Amino acid sequence: MSKSNILNKLFASGPLFLLYYLSISEIDSNLEKLFEIFSLNLQIIIIYFWIIKRPNLMGTGHIFLAGLINDVVMGFPLGISSLSYLVICFVGNYVRNKSVNTTIASDWFTFLIALSLANLLFFSLLNNFSDITISYAKIGYNTFFTLFLFPVFWLLFNLYQMSFIGSQDA
Amino acid sequence: MSVSRDDFSIVFRSALLQRGATQKFSIFSLIIVALIVFFLDVYGFAIVKTARSFINDVVYRVTYLASAPTRLFPGINKGITGHFNLKKENEELRQVIERYKALDLNLEYISNENKNLKKVLDTEDVQSVSNVVLAKVLVDRNSPFLKSIIINKGSKEGIIKGMPVTQNKYLVGRIVETNYLSSRVLLLNDLNSRIPVTFDEKSTQAILTGGGTRKPTLSYLPENYQFVEGITVFASGKDGIFSAGTPIGKTRESGEVDLFIDPNQLSFVTVNLIKPSKEVF
Repeated sequence: MSKSNILNKLFASGPLFLLYYLSISEIDSNLEKLFEIFSLNLQIIIIYFWIIKRPNLMGTGHIFLAGLINDVVMGFPLGISSLSYLVICFVGNYVRNKSVNTTIASDWFTFLIALSLANLLFFSLLNNFSDITISYAKIGYNTFFTLFLFPVFWLLFNLYQMSFIGSQDA
Repeated sequence: MSVSRDDFSIVFRSALLQRGATQKFSIFSLIIVALIVFFLDVYGFAIVKTARSFINDVVYRVTYLASAPTRLFPGINKGITGHFNLKKENEELRQVIERYKALDLNLEYISNENKNLKKVLDTEDVQSVSNVVLAKVLVDRNSPFLKSIIINKGSKEGIIKGMPVTQNKYLVGRIVETNYLSSRVLLLNDLNSRIPVTFDEKSTQAILTGGGTRKPTLSYLPENYQFVEGITVFASGKDGIFSAGTPIGKTRESGEVDLFIDPNQLSFVTVNLIKPSKEVF
């Protein structure tokens, strides 16, 4: 295998590696010390972007596993993050199958639907089937910042895609 | 119209059931698996509990290793800063040594006096020392929803759910999940944390309620209670979980409590192997 082939494979597995790393590591997107209400669900942005742009880089089995790992690390009931990630995948797949060409604005709008459905499922299950109490304000902030920062990460991931993977969308 | 409905159902089915070279599983099948795993876990089947305990132990250790770089960078920064402050620190340390030398002169006298007093009181050494487990914080991932840490000691060391966790004798939280080699500690500032406390000269009783923010608040106080800043809050021990008199923090005028221990700066904690008299969640 040539050197460029290995590099291409490495770059192509970058998003998946980032997803696993965010799920398993201590790195959190809750910058409580700087800005108490700020929190962000970066995993959801990663999954949605890459499912829409390059589904071949983001296997659903990997997404399911990353969700399970995230549940273990965060202390949530097993399978709950996987479910919300799979809902994101489903909406992403639907939007990709339905649209010919996507723009940052259309992706942002459809991301709102995906995020709302995923969070609705996540917090309804947590609220009804677990003892864990969660703050609705925190959910609101988390959803808002995730949605608000989606275009920033869209541009960053798009840049990554064009620079290292190739500009051809799915 | 019917064409558009067909179109919708085709796209819908395709999104749910489509598989490919890299997508080995359809989303539908994975959703079913996730739901099964979720309900098995929620309803606490014995096999799932054991499996989860094993998975937790493995994942927590991998998380600890995976997070090594994030712990390394602040360490390097600290090292550089420390190097530049070395001279100043050296002078301060010299002064400290001089003070310790002076204190050392009194030490022998005090030790002898202590031994004699112990003989008088006919007491043993503190028994609770053997009932304490020192644990290292493996993971302190700061979730927006749950404020908890994971420690490297579990049921192997005799830790069970509900045991109080302290650092320098200040209350940190309680054990909410145990695995064979690790445990999860629910911190005082978590939204699910409720601790009966007592404070001030009148021994006012209250509940220290975590709000998911950095500072927990005091609730269920007597009517028209006026907060005075700087009063130490202690665990009242009425829940049968925490030892009465364990210091927690100091009050603020707003009714919040400044914890003695910063929940974000924990490296080592102590688990007190006191069996809770009540079952906790």
